[in-house]
Amino acid sequence: MKITFFGAIILAAIFAGPTSIRASEGLPLHRCAPGREGVVFSPTARNDDFKSVVKIIEDFYSVKHLGIPFLAKAGIKLATTAARIKGGEAKRIAQAGSVKLAVFENQDFAGDFTKFRASLNAALNTSWMPLMQTLSATNQAQTYIFLRNDGDKFTVLVINIEQREATVVQVNISPQNLAILLRDPEGTGKTITEEATIVDQE
Amino acid sequence: MKSFFQRNIRMPLFAALLIITATCVVRAQDPRIQLASLDHLAAKASQTVDVSIDERLMKIAATMLSDDGDEKAVKKLITGLKGIYVKNFEFEADGQYTAADLESIRTQLRTPAWTRMVNVNSRKEGAFEVYLMLTGEKVSGLAVLHSDAKELTVVNIVGPINLEKLTQLEGQLGIPDLGIEPQKPKTKNEEK
Repeated sequence: MKITFFGAIILAAIFAGPTSIRASEGLPLHRCAPGREGVVFSPTARNDDFKSVVKIIEDFYSVKHLGIPFLAKAGIKLATTAARIKGGEAKRIAQAGSVKLAVFENQDFAGDFTKFRASLNAALNTSWMPLMQTLSATNQAQTYIFLRNDGDKFTVLVINIEQREATVVQVNISPQNLAILLRDPEGTGKTITEEATIVDQE
Repeated sequence: MKSFFQRNIRMPLFAALLIITATCVVRAQDPRIQLASLDHLAAKASQTVDVSIDERLMKIAATMLSDDGDEKAVKKLITGLKGIYVKNFEFEADGQYTAADLESIRTQLRTPAWTRMVNVNSRKEGAFEVYLMLTGEKVSGLAVLHSDAKELTVVNIVGPINLEKLTQLEGQLGIPDLGIEPQKPKTKNEEK
């Protein structure tokens, strides 16, 4: 068997390829992590990233998100605040009318969060820039903050998962608030989630 | 008569080795260090923080931010930088990470391109190491490795950076408080 010159180059390229760089960015889609009910095929997150992320959470943890009307009927005043932010009255970080919110309440989020993280990063890494991710094995808590630049605006996606509840918030922010987010990603991420979900006590 | 090996394999093998060597050299001079080897620690850590501000975001932010107020301060800090990468693990018990975990980072910092700064002190307990990558006479990257019994932190900043700027960045842009103590100016006796 002859090994040609070009064959050797191809072999060398395969061995010297940038695998370590790819590994840090998460697994490719076809190798996404298995959930409790088997393999989860993460949807690509290009067209509607917010819905895709909600679907990834639902598939991985076998949970269902609650719509805002349902929460309002259940006596939770979350909808009031969300509506206010949409109208701009209570906004601080999010730009008026830009808030997308999905809430998961009183459901079980037990599972291998490192696998979930890999699935999420794989689904979002082409169109979003990961900014900060915090994980706690002790509390089974996860927070992910992703950023996307759409022309002259920035979109922030904040995913917060705890043992029994989770939220997904997507908002547009101004350059001024981008500066605040970059300075303090963790604190600003919490503020974005609180703005969208805090129960109005008034 | 030349053997089969000599005739058919020697030249392609040499070319392949040349390519592999060139690839390794390029990687060795990359101021971005690979931190993925530490990812498995997240499953043991009571708290994991993973910050990744890449060149795309740096460029976009520098373009979008204005020269007023908070935006000016952030813009000044990030201008010229090509990336900020942080991994911080806090553990509830001792011995949750191994020497091999640390070695996976130190190995990358032992290449000739990196120089360890010996005169940097931190208020934090444990081992504290600061490395600079020099490209010519310019700093092209910085790495900080802090490890104690219950905490492991790696900070990697890509781009022109110095200790003064690093001190300004502490507590911002996802960089934890590293407790770097400002270097004392030398006394006349020390200078002698």
